[in-house]
Amino acid sequence: MIERKLIYMDAKSSKFWNIRQDGEAFTVTYGRIGTSGQETVKTFASEALAVKEAEKLIKEKLGKGYVEASAPPAEGALPLAAFANINQRDDLFRNAGTFVGMRVVDYAMDKPARSDVAYRFRSDWDDDQIVPALEHFLATPAALEATAIVIGAWFGDESSNTPDEVLDVLIQNRARVPKLTALFVGDVTSEENEMSWITQTDMAPLLTAFPDLQLLRTRGGTDLKLTPLKHTNLRALAMETGGMDASVVRSVCSSDFERLEHLELWLGTDEYGATVRVEDLQPLLSGKLFPNLKYLGLRNSQIADQIAVVVVNSPLVQRLETLDLSLGTLSDEGGEALLHLKDSQLKKLNLHYHYMSPEMVKRLRALPFPVDATTPPDMEVDEEDRFVAVGE
Amino acid sequence: MFGTDTGRGAKIELRDCSQPLPAKLRCFDLDLTGYQLDRLPDDLHVESRLILDNATRLRSLPANLKVGSLSLRNCAVLDALPEGLECWFLDMTGCEQFSRWPQRANISTGSVILRDCRSLAYLPPWLTRLANLDLAGCLQLQQLPPDLMLTGWLDLAGTAIAALPPHLADTRLRWRGVRIDRRIAFEPASISAMEALREPNAELRRVMIERMGALEFAQQANAQVLDEDTDAGGRRRLLHIPLEQDEPLVGLNCRCPSTGREYLLRVPPKTKTCHQAAAWIAGFDDPRDYHPDYET
Repeated sequence: MIERKLIYMDAKSSKFWNIRQDGEAFTVTYGRIGTSGQETVKTFASEALAVKEAEKLIKEKLGKGYVEASAPPAEGALPLAAFANINQRDDLFRNAGTFVGMRVVDYAMDKPARSDVAYRFRSDWDDDQIVPALEHFLATPAALEATAIVIGAWFGDESSNTPDEVLDVLIQNRARVPKLTALFVGDVTSEENEMSWITQTDMAPLLTAFPDLQLLRTRGGTDLKLTPLKHTNLRALAMETGGMDASVVRSVCSSDFERLEHLELWLGTDEYGATVRVEDLQPLLSGKLFPNLKYLGLRNSQIADQIAVVVVNSPLVQRLETLDLSLGTLSDEGGEALLHLKDSQLKKLNLHYHYMSPEMVKRLRALPFPVDATTPPDMEVDEEDRFVAVGE
Repeated sequence: MFGTDTGRGAKIELRDCSQPLPAKLRCFDLDLTGYQLDRLPDDLHVESRLILDNATRLRSLPANLKVGSLSLRNCAVLDALPEGLECWFLDMTGCEQFSRWPQRANISTGSVILRDCRSLAYLPPWLTRLANLDLAGCLQLQQLPPDLMLTGWLDLAGTAIAALPPHLADTRLRWRGVRIDRRIAFEPASISAMEALREPNAELRRVMIERMGALEFAQQANAQVLDEDTDAGGRRRLLHIPLEQDEPLVGLNCRCPSTGREYLLRVPPKTKTCHQAAAWIAGFDDPRDYHPDYET
């Protein structure tokens, strides 16, 4: 008998896929998380055929990015898969449709507030309503039940405005959102503002004000800071940039996040301010920090090859479940080094958007865990001219 | 001398420092580029990156130094690394006096850059697992450590390493940063001028010509003779070979009067005469100033 429960979450969707094979038949149940879904039953000529077909389907789902829906998380704890946001390059072209498994809805002051969605607050270039809308929501009873909030474009017609004013409103009213566990500061597409032009701020005051926060995701690299701090409940930190300053990595490595499971740093390119060198990642890769880390993403990076040849030798990779070097300029040189992971305990390797040859992709796909080595259909693969997915 | 913030995650920059560092200094990164003293305090603690580039007077490092990465570029008089050193990344580019490794140390996981360490004649047996190893310009090096494993590349330009052990047979090779294959590294006699001329990548073509030897290349490539005269070594010629997407190879073909050996010495491509070429090689900007009594 085979029984597997898989889930998939990204910026667009949040779905489950369960299979139960017994004898000559299996039942597949699938749908959006939070619904009971649809059920299909298939019967085969023999048990062996049913097992074979079920295993094929499971492999296919894992290849698509589904993960084990481990034991139901403790009350209020988010599953590890909920921390992912951008899985494929093309997810960057849209605003988040879901966030930590909840549907994202733009907040409207003239409608009754709900607590079963993640509200997004944002300003248009000609309509600077983000602060009044957020204050309005925080005064509703729904805010007391809210677990996730998405901050969209905050800068109005001045693309270099920081989110300080918006974050201050949240910090001042933190008692109004006592159940807040997940926060996304910067659900901004390139159409609204290029990732490298988004001006960020120091995230330490926000984290200090919300000691129960489990996930903080930010987008934008300019002036992004994190004064080193201790936070005992943070399980996921994701910082998306087109160019990350080495000081951010130093701060992350000097912080005490004892429960951190998911760390995602988008390193970017030096054209947009990236100063992180592979040497700066040594304290992180040494494995001496973050004893619970399960997912490490060093994404959108111009130095993906240099990271790959070092990360495979690192103590940290021996205790990770997922290594994510996607959206960067990984070529065959890095790919070949990653073949050394064959004896690791990894459950997943994400290399989506890369510059490797078809031969190297084939060799990597033979590793004993799912490897996403897909590329967007419009990507031009030229080993000489390589660009990260978000270089502006 | 310091800012007030040497707190968690701090990077301290002290360029061209000529004062002793304070006792028990602790920081995350320390940039001491241009450091003027000959040693560091024994109780210094750097968590991640220690940069001592161009510390031209530095003679020794503290025993049991433990850092994430150590950059010692152009530390001109440093001849040894300390016992008990631990790091992942080591850059000793241009440490021309460096010749002695510690008996006991742990340098692994990252990259070791030993470019132009001309006095270095061996690598230690405890060097076992690295990402990259850059030995370009280590002219005396003949052998790799027996248990060395590389996950990245090996740069062996100009070394005396003539072959790779079997377990490194698939390692990616570089020649001063240019990616090359095994044949160019270890079977230079098999490279023909025709093959070099057909190579579209100008950087790789330059390496191929270097591996063949410029004289052999010029002879095989039917170089055009721009000028001809005689010096103490006999006939000398200025040769010219055009190269696709690169400046032409122009060189003075001459013989050493004492050994009789024949050479091709590359000169700037605009050179027109043997005399101009000889003057440029001798270091004269204006050939009219060059009137040697005897050319050797």
